[in-house]
Amino acid sequence: MPDTQAPDLVPVTVLTGYLGAGKTTLLNRILSENHGRRYAVVINEFGELGVDNDLVVDSDEEVFEMNNGCICCTVRGDLIRIVGGLMKRRDKFDGIIIETTGLANPAPVAQTFFVDEGVRAKTRLDAIVTVVDAKHLPQRLEDSHEAEDQIAFADVIVLNKTDLVTPAELEDVERRIRAINRFAVIHRTERAALPIEQIMDQGAFDLARVLEREPAFLTEDTHEHNEEVRSVSFEAQRPIDPEKFNAWIGQLLAEKGQDLLRTKGILAYEGEDRRFGFQAVHMIADGDFIGAWKPGTPRTSRIVFIGRNLNRPLLRRGFESCQAD
Amino acid sequence: MSETASPDFLLETRGIHRALDAFVVATAFDGPQAAFALGDGTLRIAAGEEWRTITAHDGAILALSPHPRGGFVTGGDDGKLRHTDPLGEIAEIAAFGSKWVEHVAAHIGDKGRGLIACSVGRAAHVYDAAGEKLKTLDHPSSVSGLVFDAKGKRVCASHYNGASLWFVGAKVDSPRVLEWKGSHIGIAINPDGDSVVTAMQENSLHGWRLSDGQHMRMSGYPAKTAALSFTRNGKWLATSGADSIVIWPFHGGGPMGKIPTELAGGDGILCTYVASHPQHEAIAAGFADGLVVLADITSQRILPVAAPGRGPVSALAWSADGSTLAIGSETGFAAVVDFSKR
Repeated sequence: MPDTQAPDLVPVTVLTGYLGAGKTTLLNRILSENHGRRYAVVINEFGELGVDNDLVVDSDEEVFEMNNGCICCTVRGDLIRIVGGLMKRRDKFDGIIIETTGLANPAPVAQTFFVDEGVRAKTRLDAIVTVVDAKHLPQRLEDSHEAEDQIAFADVIVLNKTDLVTPAELEDVERRIRAINRFAVIHRTERAALPIEQIMDQGAFDLARVLEREPAFLTEDTHEHNEEVRSVSFEAQRPIDPEKFNAWIGQLLAEKGQDLLRTKGILAYEGEDRRFGFQAVHMIADGDFIGAWKPGTPRTSRIVFIGRNLNRPLLRRGFESCQAD
Repeated sequence: MSETASPDFLLETRGIHRALDAFVVATAFDGPQAAFALGDGTLRIAAGEEWRTITAHDGAILALSPHPRGGFVTGGDDGKLRHTDPLGEIAEIAAFGSKWVEHVAAHIGDKGRGLIACSVGRAAHVYDAAGEKLKTLDHPSSVSGLVFDAKGKRVCASHYNGASLWFVGAKVDSPRVLEWKGSHIGIAINPDGDSVVTAMQENSLHGWRLSDGQHMRMSGYPAKTAALSFTRNGKWLATSGADSIVIWPFHGGGPMGKIPTELAGGDGILCTYVASHPQHEAIAAGFADGLVVLADITSQRILPVAAPGRGPVSALAWSADGSTLAIGSETGFAAVVDFSKR
């Protein structure tokens, strides 16, 4: 399959998670494992533990609003500078790992990789990895939006400290994660121990792979609070009309972008043999043609929304109305 | 001269060049000597055919300036601010732990007097020529650009939501805050001392006329402006960030309501760096394909200096007398070209 990304783009992994969840333990495992790869690590100034690595950069997590008329479009100004600086010694590392503070909203980090042309030209966001503490996650979800957002944004969730809960509690916490984000891959761990290839080089933001993974089965929650983050997906069997889709998604992201944390889609455009990959972080969208549909398989268009206040019937009708007549 | 058909004619006949194998972060002159600051932490000092290598930092050099007492001052991602003297001896001016020294500026005064400033996160530190710390200036967010005015009276830092203008000699440090919402990523002061211009994250420039607080907005760039360079008389501001050299008039009421002069455009290749000639109204400009040209503002004539193919131009500097141009690229190409009359 022709890759949509140039091979020399530096992969970037974003590591989020609450204080005490095991983020730094995971980071040190990634760095100390004998994988032959060198990482530049961007840590926040409130890091829990020392990080033993050749190339560690302290960051201040400066979130800047963009003057582009889009209210929720924020970027990490410090990352733009740090990535620019790191590119001056590009030959010294193979990838970048960005650790965020426990209370950080992942959106500005993700948006930086969509919005800043300099960062886009040199790097690719590989995946957002969120570490959660199996014992304390229920409490965290009660008292903060950030814990929920970190799960919602995740491509990979490291469900850590499983040894501190009963099997029933573990099932329950995994169910709660799934209710928020049923598309992320969940790895259960003790002391953040897992093979590095399960978190690095995921290609989760690669348009060609955005919906590669089948979402896990979900039994509908009976009591849905709108303010909670949920994920929904829809399918369309008939080809999509690009003009209708652009008009619909454009308006939807403009109006509801603040509530829509992540949107991903693979679309079968009318009269087109290639798949169209689409993804957005809040209002910031990206799309391109990716590899051809597999011969002999149904060309089913799919779209996924992760966010708050999702009006399922309205979204479904909207997506279905994008089908060509 | 028919042989000028080669775009490398000047480089071949009047240039000395090297492949240095590391990103050229910046270049600067101390008298006739050109220094190239590299991403591998070395400083390469070119004196004619002889190029010396000095390991100035453990990591990448992030910023370079001539030092008031001769030699060069550099900031690195090793958190160090260092002086490399004309003999190649290295002295540490300051160390900042794990923080990067991202920007360096210097004012070169008479008889070895002058000032040095560097930025580390939100702070700008100012030193005298002997390396004695004079003051630390705090900003509301990280400093993204740092510059002295032509007389060395004021130092100005760009940051989120504007810029801060400080009097170096003030007893009590309180800046004149130049406000404009958004992320400012680079800065220049007009040699006439009356206007400050910043580059912005959204591919535009913002300016403030200091005498009356008038705002200036200069937009239309397809990319971010990495280099802002006023001509010596302050009449023109040359900028990168478009597929031509964009030159704004700072005279006759401009830049407000004026259209900039665009030179050396038309190829759809981004201009990545500019350096105004220290005497004439001419601009050296480098492009993303490696092309380097000299553009005369009045006649609009374009003189090719180096042909495309040596990596995006990341650094340009003129010697103070305007006789020599130093060129550096992201892929490690470095050259010194002699423009003096023969």
